[in-house]
This record gives sequence, C-alpha cells and structure tokens, in this order.
Amino acid sequence: MDERFGQRLGVIALHVVVISGALLTVAPIAFMIYSSFKTTTEIFTLPPWLPPAEWSFKNYETLLTSWHFPYWYANSIIYAAVVTLFVLFFCSLAGFAFAKYSFRGKNVLFIILIGSTMIPFQLILIPLFILMSRIDWVNHPASMIIPWMAPAFGIFLMRQYIQAVPTELMESARIDGASEFRIYAQVVVPLVRPGLTTLAILTFLGSWNSFIWPLMVLRGNEVITLPVGIATMRSQATASQIPYGEMMAAATLVSVPVIVLFLMLQRYFISGLTIGAVKG
Amino acid sequence: MVQAAVTRGREARHGGGFQQHKLAPYAFISPFYVLFGFFFLAPSLIALVLSLFRWDGINDPRFVLARNYGRLLSDKVFAQAATNTAIYAIASLLIVLPLALVLAVLLNAKSLRFSNVWRAMYFTPVVTSTVAITLVFQILYNRDTGLLNAPLINLGLEPIYWLGDRYWIKVAIIILIIWRSTGLLTIYFLAGLQSIPEELYEAASIDGASMLQKFFSITIPMLRPIILFVSIIVLLSSIQIFDEIHILTSGTGGPANASMSIVQYLYERGYTRLRLGFASAVGTVLFATVFILSLLQLQWYGVFRKED
Repeated sequence: MDERFGQRLGVIALHVVVISGALLTVAPIAFMIYSSFKTTTEIFTLPPWLPPAEWSFKNYETLLTSWHFPYWYANSIIYAAVVTLFVLFFCSLAGFAFAKYSFRGKNVLFIILIGSTMIPFQLILIPLFILMSRIDWVNHPASMIIPWMAPAFGIFLMRQYIQAVPTELMESARIDGASEFRIYAQVVVPLVRPGLTTLAILTFLGSWNSFIWPLMVLRGNEVITLPVGIATMRSQATASQIPYGEMMAAATLVSVPVIVLFLMLQRYFISGLTIGAVKG
Repeated sequence: MVQAAVTRGREARHGGGFQQHKLAPYAFISPFYVLFGFFFLAPSLIALVLSLFRWDGINDPRFVLARNYGRLLSDKVFAQAATNTAIYAIASLLIVLPLALVLAVLLNAKSLRFSNVWRAMYFTPVVTSTVAITLVFQILYNRDTGLLNAPLINLGLEPIYWLGDRYWIKVAIIILIIWRSTGLLTIYFLAGLQSIPEELYEAASIDGASMLQKFFSITIPMLRPIILFVSIIVLLSSIQIFDEIHILTSGTGGPANASMSIVQYLYERGYTRLRLGFASAVGTVLFATVFILSLLQLQWYGVFRKED
C-alpha cells in the first residue's frame, strides 16, 4: 500500500476519533440546554432529539417566579465575587512575601504552608461546622467567605508569577522611598495581572460550583447558593412531580455562563491548573 | 518621625535592610496563618480530640477512648463505603488515566486540524457544575426512558436499572467520573507533552519507529513523573468524592449503601445523625490516608519544573 495513502488514512482516523469523543463529551450539556425548553414529559420521551411540541421559555419563567432562583443566583455571585476579591489580595500579598523577601522563619512558615494543603477539607467538615454554629455563622454569609479567603494553593500560584518580576524594579522603587506596600501595589500587582486573572477564575469557579459546604452551613431559600438550590428543587418535590424541566433550565443557567467564561479565558484557566497545582 | 524613619531607612539600606523591610513580609503573610490557625488547624485538632469522645452536640461529651475507632472498623457500612471508594479510585486509575493520556497524545498530534476547538470541548466538563450535570445523567440513567437504555429498549431487551441495582449504580457513578475528570487529566498530560523534546520523535522516525513504538518507548517513559503525579491527584480526588453520589442517589448512597462513599458516610453520621465524635474518627482515618498520599505527591511536586 502507498505510504502516503496510509498516512492519510491515519489522519482521517485521528479526526474521527477525536471529534466523536468531543461530541460525546458535550452531548450531556447539549441535552441539558435542549431539555430546558421541553416539558418534563417531553424530557422523558425517547428519542431525546425530538423537538418540543412548542419551543418555550416557560421553564425559565417558572424558575424565576415560583422558586427563589433569583436569590440563589445573586447569593452565588456575591459569595464567589467577595471571596475572589479577598483571595486575590491576600494570596498576592503572601505570594509577594515568599517570592521576594528573605526573613527569619521563612522556611518553616513555607513548610507549614505546604503542609496545610495536606489537610483534606473533609477532616474538618464536622469540627468546622461545630465551630460555625458556636460563633453563630451557620446561615451567615461569613461562613461562605471568611474561612476561604487565603488558600495555600493561591499563595503558591502568586509566588510563582511574582518570582518572575525583576527584583531591580522593586529596588529602584525602594530607593525612591516607596513603602513596601506601595511596591506591592504599584510595582508588583500591575506586572502579575495574568496570574491574578488565573487565580480569580479558579477561585470564582471553585466557589460557584462548591456543594457540600454550602449544603451544610446554609439553610433557607434566601441564603442558599445555586447548586444547593437546584438540589432542593428535587428534594422538595414529591417523587412523581420532580420539576425536571425547570431543573434543566436551572442547570443551564448555572453552567452555561461559566462555560462561556471558560471559553473566553481558557488560556489563563489552563495555565493556572498546570502551574498552580503542580509547581512548587 | 515618619520622615526620620524614612531617612534612617535610606541610610540603613546599604547596611542591610531597614525596619519596614523586615516587618513587611510578616504582615503580608499573616492573613493566611491567622485564617489557617483558626479555621483549619484548630478544627483539625478538635477533630482529633473529639474522635475520642461520644458527643451529640447537645449533651456533655463522654470520653470513650478508642471506642469510636473500634466501632468504625467493625462497622459494615463503613467497610462498604471504604470498598466503594476504593472501587471508584481504582476505576479512575485504570480507565480515566489511560484514556486521558491517549487523548492528550491525540490532541497534541500535529496533523490534527482545529485542535483548539476539540480541546475546548473536552475541557468543558472541568468547569461544569457537578450538581447540574449529575441531574442530567440522572435523566439519562432513567430505567424506562433514559437514553442509555434506549438501545436495549429498542431491541426489546430488559433495560438496566442503573440507579436501583447494587452493581449498576457503581457503573453509573464511574461513567459520571469518567465524563467529569478525563478533561482535567488531559490538561495535565498535554502540559507534560510540551516538555518532551521534538528531536526524540524525529530521531525515532528516522530509525523507522511506528506511532505505537514512539508512544511506548518515548512518550510513556518521558511522562513517567507526570503519570505518577496525576495518579496521586486521581487517588486524592477519588477519596474525597461526594457531590455526584449525593445528587445521583438523592442523598442516600443507595440502593442499600451500594454506592456510598467515605465522605458521604462521614456526612451522614456526623451531620445528619449528629454523631460528632464518631464522625471525627472517620475524618481522622481519612486524614491519615490522605496524608500518606500527599507525602507521595510531594515527592513528585516539581515534575513540571524545567528551569531549575
């Protein structure tokens, strides 16, 4: 057989495999969006590619009017946005200190930082919950924000980016009489914007999609987050009347904006995963 | 006074640093240590102590020494949860990891057109809400009208009871894990593939090596540290699995605990039944496991580092 022909065949096979896998991967998401325009009965009718009898936004309307969905959405955005702002500030400050200063005890403190990543969140799930109830933070936004404001991984990530900032720039600012904080704010921060963007995306996403913690500490329709709210849509309904249509609309609204954001900022997201999670 | 301090600072610069320079880093790192101490370290220590007590959160705690651990180790449901969790971990290692590796190699192929488009499609599960997508799978797994049973129904065969069968529920969860985590691991492997020098492949081509030979004698050995690193990540995340199972089984871990994971067990005993001491013992066992795995991970920490 002609070698060229064989190579062509290989390239075609490569495309067939890659593309069918890619389609298979996004199929459940497509199913979710498509189903959000159907009635619950239609969702459970085979084959799933049958169009709805009537294209309508009824599920979305019901979602916005009969459920506390707007609250859930606002809560999720607020918790995620506030925690992200704090994370950006605290992690870049600490990352700056570990990247550019030598100080007494630095090594020990750094080892503690690394060690902290070894504590699985699940170990402290129950005692942290007890702590929250003791200080009256159950059902309080603080429980979704304050404990998560300075994650170790974020400090690693920022340290990695700040190490690349030339030390001479800091030195000359110092000679000009700038305070240490001013060096941070006016020299370092502007130069590590890509790192901050990366950290912002990862943090926002982590908070947005978090489930077990808000499930435990938040109660009541006015304070819960989107994922918890969507889960309660099912647990509150009787088995025969689970509002799958509205749940698919909710699932679409919780995931599609994030997917679009990801597609726009993919580069930052991926560098964050590979640098932040893996580099020391 | 401020002026004096600044002047002194400027003078001291050549002599080896000044006050502000010395104190600033401590101020900069302090938020982490304060939060860590209060919200992570203190609760961890409380958990260790609490695991020796019997406590429902209301009455006074009663010291029971290691009885919680004894009861834990003889508890059949815990054994079931531990076994299930191990099954999820092993399935991830044996299915997701090789799948992601092959996928990364395919996506990295130079002859692949529009590679960015396909990559983006494969990565979307990484950012998709677990709760949202699990609800979708719940519909797909429906016994009578789910898409996954459609071929069987069309052929007139007995449909699979995905969510109600002790065996199939695990398969259902593993499929969900594959869907959710393959993209993430592919990202790691793709990053790793960038570090393999092109010349190795070129030299192998000159020697007439086939695609498969190159894969097994260049790609795999060169990626070895990353494969090990990713294995640890897979194990760690499998051990902590909760969301998918909680939603898919409506919080039961059923049928008859057949899908329950360790974290779900912890949640159920500690949060639902308020057996706080006992749940702390579960957390401590989990901690010991994760700690050992993390130590292994640290061994491979710098695997992506090229420059130093």
